[in-house]
Amino acid sequence: MEATKKRFILKIAILVVMLVFAAIAGVKFWQLRHYKETIVLSEDITDVKWLSDYCPSLKDTWLDTPVFIADSGVEGGTVFINGCPHPYEPASTMAAFLMLENIKVEKGKVIIVPRANYSGSTEGMVGDAYPRFFTVETQWGGETFRIGDRYTNPLDQWPDPFTYVNYPSGQNLAYQDIRNLNRTYPGRENGTITERAAYAIMEIIRQEDVDIAIDMHEAEILYPVTSTYVAPAKVLDREKFLETGVMEYIEPERNSLDVAMMAAMNIDQFFMKCAASPNTLHGLSHREWADWSDAMTFLMETPEIFIDKITGPRTEALLYEGKDEFLQNVTDKGLTYFPYDMEFGTPMWYRTARHLSGAMEIINWAALFYDDVECIVSWPLYEEMAEIEEQGIDSIGYFLKNPDAPENEANRFVIYHKPVEK
Amino acid sequence: MVFLENLIHILYFVMAGLIGLSMVKSLFKRKKNGSIVFDIMYAYCLIPFLLRVLYIK
Repeated sequence: MEATKKRFILKIAILVVMLVFAAIAGVKFWQLRHYKETIVLSEDITDVKWLSDYCPSLKDTWLDTPVFIADSGVEGGTVFINGCPHPYEPASTMAAFLMLENIKVEKGKVIIVPRANYSGSTEGMVGDAYPRFFTVETQWGGETFRIGDRYTNPLDQWPDPFTYVNYPSGQNLAYQDIRNLNRTYPGRENGTITERAAYAIMEIIRQEDVDIAIDMHEAEILYPVTSTYVAPAKVLDREKFLETGVMEYIEPERNSLDVAMMAAMNIDQFFMKCAASPNTLHGLSHREWADWSDAMTFLMETPEIFIDKITGPRTEALLYEGKDEFLQNVTDKGLTYFPYDMEFGTPMWYRTARHLSGAMEIINWAALFYDDVECIVSWPLYEEMAEIEEQGIDSIGYFLKNPDAPENEANRFVIYHKPVEK
Repeated sequence: MVFLENLIHILYFVMAGLIGLSMVKSLFKRKKNGSIVFDIMYAYCLIPFLLRVLYIK
């Protein structure tokens, strides 16, 4: 009897210890889920909409996210910039934040979504011991941002199927890609929550008559499509597909690939190449945005060694500075797709600046090819950021504005999945 | 479709709760595998189900 009682007490003790572990982990997960990033919007931001304005069933879900519009009021091209489709590629988000804080538009309209998969940004990479946050050094101390995952948080979309069938192509993809925003385009109004977010983004492009749509990503340097523009050479014959179900690809009215090739060739500050979007790989923005809208579409990849699988420990320093001896060895053996140099690394400012200049190059070259899509816009570019870095100042922090400064109070905006009172 | 999606989503949370409860039951009342190692295993495996049901992870 005494032994049974002792065993019962031991079981209770084990349970309590595990509950303490659960509580410690739970607090960390809770902090990541509910952390709110604050930015200071440029005076040129004229309107804020939400993804749920384009797909109402997203309202009050964690896939709803703000959509910022900077309209010059002067007739010109409309540019759409998609940030954070994969939250664990954070230079994409930082580039969108720097655009939002510093944008000036003289002609045309720019639409920016800084956290396209908000839900995915609220969880960390499972099993990879990723840090949850990173801090940008600023003049007022530091600003902290989330890193996030590649996929929609399972708290918001669960379970996964055995295989994901992309709609409407019918292509089979990996099961977890049902939560991958950049595999679920063109999405559907009544699909899974990630498909609905994809549909809402398609609706932004269609309803706002977007001419140039740019999707910002980051990629491993062991992945061939790193440091690359991806754009379609041909687009789906939509009418034929809807009538017959046969997928045939035709010359687009405006050729994105021509624009991307010229932009890649013209960039001399950093290494950038160009690839044609395959007709047979579905669900990705550079394929489906072009197939299901009239916009010219581009996907940009920067080199992010943090997500390469053979690095040393995944620390905040590795994310922010991108210096890793294992990848240097692999690069020396000619096995990477980027001329990696550990002395310089692939720092966050460099990857962010690449997106800022890469997007600007596309906008400028598109206007040279097709003058009716001209959009005159400015934000910080690679050269300016490199000069600031040479002075030992964090160039991302330099271009961020202090959200707590009284002069910025009117333009302060909390990035969350629903409006937050100021 | 959206309704069904939401219903299945909620059902999975309910199932996570039931599995969690069955683990608590197995921790305190089981007929086989009586060693302390299994006590630790059941208590440890409870953590993800608990965090999921509490809508934390």
